[in-house]
Parts: sequence; structure tokens; C-alpha cells
Amino acid sequence: MTRVDVAVVGGGPAGLNAALAAADAGASVLLIDRQPRLGGQLVKQTHRFFGSRAQFAGTRGFEIGRLLAKRAEAHPDIAIWLDATVIGCYSDSVLMVDTGSGLAKVHADRLVMATGAAERPLAFVNNDLPGIYGAGAVQTLMNLHGVLPGRRAVMVGAGNIGLIISYQLLQAGVRVAAILEAAPAVGGYLVHAAKVARAGIPILTSHTVLAAQGDDAVAGVRVARLSPDWQPVPGSEFEIACDLVCLAVGLSPLVELAALAGCELLHIAELGGFVPWRDSDMQTSVPGVYVAGDAAGVEEASSAMVSGRLAGLAAANSLRAAGDFAGQRQECQRQLAGLRAGPAGEKMRRGLAKMGLAAAGGDGIA
Amino acid sequence: MRITEHPILDFGNPRMVQFTFEGRCLEGVEGEPIAAALHAAGIRLLRHSPGGRPRGLFCAIGNCSSCYMVVDGVPNVRTCVEPLRQGMVVCRQHGHGDLP
Amino acid sequence: MKRSVEVAIVGGGVIGCSIAYHLANLGCRDVAVYERGYPSCGSTGRCGAGVRAQWGTEMNCRLAHESIKRFERLEEDLDYPDIEFKQGGYLILAFSPAQLRQFERNVALQNSLGIPSRVVGPDEARDIVPHLAAPDLVGATFCGTDGHCNPFKVTDAYARAARRLGVEINTYTSVTGFEQQGGRVVRLETTAGPVECGAVVNAAGPFSAQVAAMAGLELPVFSQRHQVVVTEPVAPKQRPMVISFAHGFYCQQTPHGSFILGLGDPAEPRGLDIGHSWQFLADLAEKVEHLLPSLGRLRAVRQWSGLYNVTPDAQPILGPAGQPANLWLAVGFSGHGFMLAPMVGLTIAQGILGMEAEIPIDRLVLARFARGELVPEPSVV
Repeated sequence: MTRVDVAVVGGGPAGLNAALAAADAGASVLLIDRQPRLGGQLVKQTHRFFGSRAQFAGTRGFEIGRLLAKRAEAHPDIAIWLDATVIGCYSDSVLMVDTGSGLAKVHADRLVMATGAAERPLAFVNNDLPGIYGAGAVQTLMNLHGVLPGRRAVMVGAGNIGLIISYQLLQAGVRVAAILEAAPAVGGYLVHAAKVARAGIPILTSHTVLAAQGDDAVAGVRVARLSPDWQPVPGSEFEIACDLVCLAVGLSPLVELAALAGCELLHIAELGGFVPWRDSDMQTSVPGVYVAGDAAGVEEASSAMVSGRLAGLAAANSLRAAGDFAGQRQECQRQLAGLRAGPAGEKMRRGLAKMGLAAAGGDGIA
Repeated sequence: MRITEHPILDFGNPRMVQFTFEGRCLEGVEGEPIAAALHAAGIRLLRHSPGGRPRGLFCAIGNCSSCYMVVDGVPNVRTCVEPLRQGMVVCRQHGHGDLP
Repeated sequence: MKRSVEVAIVGGGVIGCSIAYHLANLGCRDVAVYERGYPSCGSTGRCGAGVRAQWGTEMNCRLAHESIKRFERLEEDLDYPDIEFKQGGYLILAFSPAQLRQFERNVALQNSLGIPSRVVGPDEARDIVPHLAAPDLVGATFCGTDGHCNPFKVTDAYARAARRLGVEINTYTSVTGFEQQGGRVVRLETTAGPVECGAVVNAAGPFSAQVAAMAGLELPVFSQRHQVVVTEPVAPKQRPMVISFAHGFYCQQTPHGSFILGLGDPAEPRGLDIGHSWQFLADLAEKVEHLLPSLGRLRAVRQWSGLYNVTPDAQPILGPAGQPANLWLAVGFSGHGFMLAPMVGLTIAQGILGMEAEIPIDRLVLARFARGELVPEPSVV
């Protein structure tokens, strides 16, 4: 049995920050990730981050990932298990971990779940054909492995992810035939939308995929215009030839571990679906179990980093009071409030309000 | 289809390894996911579901099980995350794979 | 919800639904089931889903053997598309000469009741299950008509057939008390209001003692957690259930391809805990390495537990409670209620309706404990 103060599950932006914050506060930390490398989905993000300097604004995602991973690897109080999947979480604070070569038991006094989110599928005819990918998969293939997933793409979804990846497809030499968006307006930042529009990619709002065509792989999609009540308009259907369909229709928090741990789950559409209830320190309904990043509600990697830091701090501080905890917590909450300010943060603020929290994830600061 | 030129990324000079797919000899980058190596070779049909439908890569994070293949005789290998090694024997999986 | 019924059944597991169906099928359609959750949400849906006639007492053998005959034609009888009944047999492993001698006595009893089981040596056992390791195996018994069935679908099949015949099945409705007059239960208190009744059936599974206590009756039963794990699916590999009483272990591949594995823990405390433990997973992994090592590489996808409702002789308590006079018991199945459900439903319904029972169940009445007439079942996990 491996014994640690804090186990962090997930080595993405939230988990890395949670591990670093907890270890800096004096806790012994075990960071577990099921992938062979740290960084989570930062490893494939080639765009420069927004936000403030505290969240590495101006730096590209994969560089942030490398930086955080290096810090965690160098930290004397952080042990790292890669290629390791947490398959069980038990009421006596034990995690069962599949290490590939066997089962390992971990006793952790505090648990931070930074398990991230998974791409949502979209229901249409033949949506399981090879050549239809979640947006994240396309990004991984291109930006991490340098492999082209296709030659001519149709992007479904004009949120930030759909817009950014459309541009990245162009950078990698893939033609983007169209971006389809079911809503009547583009959901992502205007700066991203303007960039793809300048590159000549048509954005078709109020349009969706009805069916994919092809035998052993996708060869095209059948598209329809949507009426204001989201129904396909008869006679509006047309086809677009493509060998790649990229679904950027949102993410769902990965809350299996939270469910296993017995955390109370709430369905809050604004946060991406089921999320664990948590307090202003990211602690769930199960004492000693914390959640951070997209697993707590889908938003940007910048806020994932801050919520991870907050969860790590709170977890460590609950074991041994850290001197400057109050100040650090306040700083995290100030940053979160900043990231969630303005029109882009409106959805997140609504979601958090449903959980009884202000935008800072705290009370009264936002 | 590997990206040879990119405005931001440099994929360097990776170490190449040989493996077989359905008996064919192919080459891929050591340590990249098996599915990425297959994509680079133009192969996107990775398995047939128990209902006989063609399936390929979908999530690339080891979450959705769309990319299960038989690797070195072991079924249900998540090829979107399983690193490629020299000499691997990779086969399409048809339905549920046979346990060795 | 009806405010008055002829027969009120407490518990919407496979037993309650089977009793309800059989009552209605025999002409008594003024029946209601009260289920605190939804059908199969308790022990039924949490069981290991095995079905066998290889038992060590006459009553368990007869009820199970006749039930298997009914599982074989259940889809037709209940007009249900698929209950996933797979008769791949049960291979029961013996690890000592004494255990093998007990198994030989069991097989003699089973054969006398028409159950086609037989004793096999270690080599034939490995012919039947080629990936069986167990180097210390002494022998085994095998019965090819035993197998697996989907408990959710069987319960759903009974519930739907019962509803079609007019039975009322109330979900998310708990029974909270009984009102008695003249030694009979005349009224049920439920979370959806009171209901007058002619007779009451306690089919409350792990909560049987609590329900009986509402009628002032003490049952000699206790509930105990049993844990189960299910793996990822693979192509068909293992036809029979493999079971070892010595290890408290069972393992079967479902038609879907996943393996269901269970392990009894003699030190498990009594109670209503349905949590799960890492010790179970670790112990199970050890047993798998010993008995069926090639399954060791399968990924566990889900772990859960359910409750046995255990009697002193590991045989169920069936029939009239005696006091109150119109209370019927179908409880204490000791871990094998699912596989007995078809015959339990029929015989309890026949008893309530004053008909002659297909199999006389008077040896399983509650009074056997007071009379000290116990025949302990040896073949339990």
C-alpha cells in the first residue's frame, strides 16, 4: 500500500496545478494519469492563451503543459505514476490503480479529482463511421503526432474549440469545406471567428448534419438548415463532400470517479452536464474529496489551472494549516472571478449560481 | 499522411519502427499511438463493431473504445493511446476479440 | 393507486413480480406490488445471475430443477423477446476428498430427482473448461442444463405479463406499517397512502425481517453483503459457470461476453451495507490467478454488491407465516432466490389461492425452525 497525503487523479492543467500547490504547501503528493505523458489536453494546444500573466497569457498551451510537467517532475514531494488508471475509489480512502502490470493500492488522506472532460458525440445517421472524430482527437493527431486525419474537413460547432481547430486544420494543410453551427449565431470569441472568416472558411449558422455518407469511411455529409425551433427545414438539404468530420459540440465532465467516491452529483447544463457539488474550496460533498478543472464544470484551461491550484491548496491546508492559505485562496478566487467576468463567462456564472456559488467559486468576491 | 511543414510545430526527426498491420509491413514513429501510425499510413478503419459496423478513432484519450484492435494477440487494445513499438503485430478486431 | 386489493405484495424483485404474475395467471387479478425503488433495484439486479439445479437438499433441488424447465420456455409463456437464458452448465470444483464425497452424495440426490448432473475427474473438468488451472483440483461435478439468465429481463418479463393481466405495480412506494385486526393484516400503510388488503406477501428480500417486524413477527434471518465484479466483454470463451465452495468463488461469462465474478467472504459482517471494498478486488484477483489465470488480463469495468438474506439452513422460508394468519412469506433465499423465482412464484400463488401446490413447500415453512427440523444446504457460496 502506497501512502500519501494527497492523491491527484489527472495530470492535465488542473491536476498539475493541484499537485504543485499541495506539494508547495508541504503535502506529500501522488499524481496519477492514465496517459503515458503529463499535460492532459494542453499537449496539443498550439494557440496562445488569454487571461493574465498568472495563467501564462501569451504562451501556447503545449508550452504551458511542458513547463508545469517539468516543475512537477522536479518537485521532491511529488511522485508521478503514468500509464496508471484509477479503477476504484473506496470509502476507507483507498484507491485501486491499474498500473498495466497489476493492481496497486494507494491510501490518500485527501483526493483531488482532476479527471477532465470527454468529447460529446452528436446523434446523426452513420455517426460512427471512421473519419468522424471528436475535435480533441483531430487536434491530438495533428498537433501532437503530426498526422493528418483527412484532406477535406467539415467542422460541426462554431464555439471556441470548433473555430480554433478549424484554423489549425488550415495550418496543417487540410481544407475546411465548412463550419456548421446549429445555433443562429457563432458561439466562440469573435477574434477566432474573424480569423477563420479571413481564411475563407464559410460558417453556416442554423445548420446541422443529418447523416454521414460512406461505406468504410466518411465520404460526405448531408446537411440541413434549421428553423428557429431547431427543426430541419424541408427542402433545405444539401451535401458536402469531405473525408473528415470533426465534432466540436461540447464536452461532458468525466465524473465517474466522483460517483464512485459517493460525491453528490448535480445536473447543471451550463457546466456541461453532471458535476459534483462542491464548496468554494473545491471540496465535494464527501469530506476530503476535492474536484478541479473540467471535471468540476467545463470551461477554459486557464480557469482549470486556477481551480486546480485552489483545490490543491485547500486539500493540503486541511491536513496541516499553511501560513498564507487565506491570502493564496483569495488570490485564486480573484483570478477565477476575473476569468469569468464579461459576456464570455456568463454561462459559467449562471452554472455556478445554480450550485449556490459566485463566479469566483467563492462567496461574495464576484 | 504526415505533416511535413507546419508554421508553429516542429516534429523533429523521430525514430521510426516497423510493425505489421493485417500482415502488411508498415512504419511508424516509436511511441506514437498505434492509431496515429495507421492514420499516417492512410488506414482509418480499425475494427468492426459486434454489430458489424466499421469503426475508427473517435476520442484519442482512451475513453470511448471505438478504436479497439487486436495487438500482439491481445484484444480490446485502445490503439488511440497504446504506444507503437518495434515489431508489433496489429490486426483489425471483429466484434468482441478472443481472449488469448 | 388502488385503495383496496385482494393480495398486496411487498417487494418488486423477481420473487414479488413472479408471485404477482402467477396469482393473476391463476385468476386472481386484484393484486398490487409495492416496491420501494423500481423492479430489480435490490438483490435481484445485484445477483450473480447464475441458474443451477445442482443443490444438496431435496427442496432446493426440486424448486431449482422445475424452475429451469420454466426458464427454458419463459419467453414463450410470458411473450417476452429474450431473457438471455444460456445453458452452458455449471462446473462445481472439489478440492478435498471429503468435499468430493459430499458432491457424490449431492449428485446421487440430484439424479434421483431427474437432474442430469455427474461427477467428473480433474481431466474431464479441464476438457469442459480448458483454461481451468487449479492444480490442486480433486474432482468436480457438472450439469449441462444449468446456466445463466438475465435477472433484469426475467423480472421485467414477469412484471409486464402481470401488468397485462391487471396487476398494479407501484414503484417508489414503500410499505411503512401494517394494521391488524383479529390476527389478520387488514391495512397497509404506504408512502402513497393506506391500502386495504385481503392477504399480504412479504417478498422484501434483504428487508424481510424489517417488513415482518411491522407485523410483529420475528424471522430467523440476517442480511449480508456479497460483492461482484464484471469485466469487459470478449468473444465466447467459457461456457459453464465455474464455482468453488472451498474458495467461495464463482465465475461465468454472460451471453454479452463479459465475465461476472463473485467471492463470498466468511468474515463479512451482517447488515445492510451495499458498499464495495478494495479487499474484495484484491482477493478476487488472487483466486482468479489460481483458478482461471487467463482471465487475469481482463479489465474490471464495474464492481458492486448486493445482499443475501440468509436463513439458518440456507433454504428459503416459504408459505404462510402463521401469525398474522393472512401473511405469506417468500424470504430468506440465502443467495439463490433468482434461480428459484419461477417455482416460488407459482407455489406461493397456489398456496394463497388454496390450490394444491405443484411442489409441496410445507417443509419450508417458518415453523420448521421452531420445530428444529433443519436440513442445512451444503452447496452455497
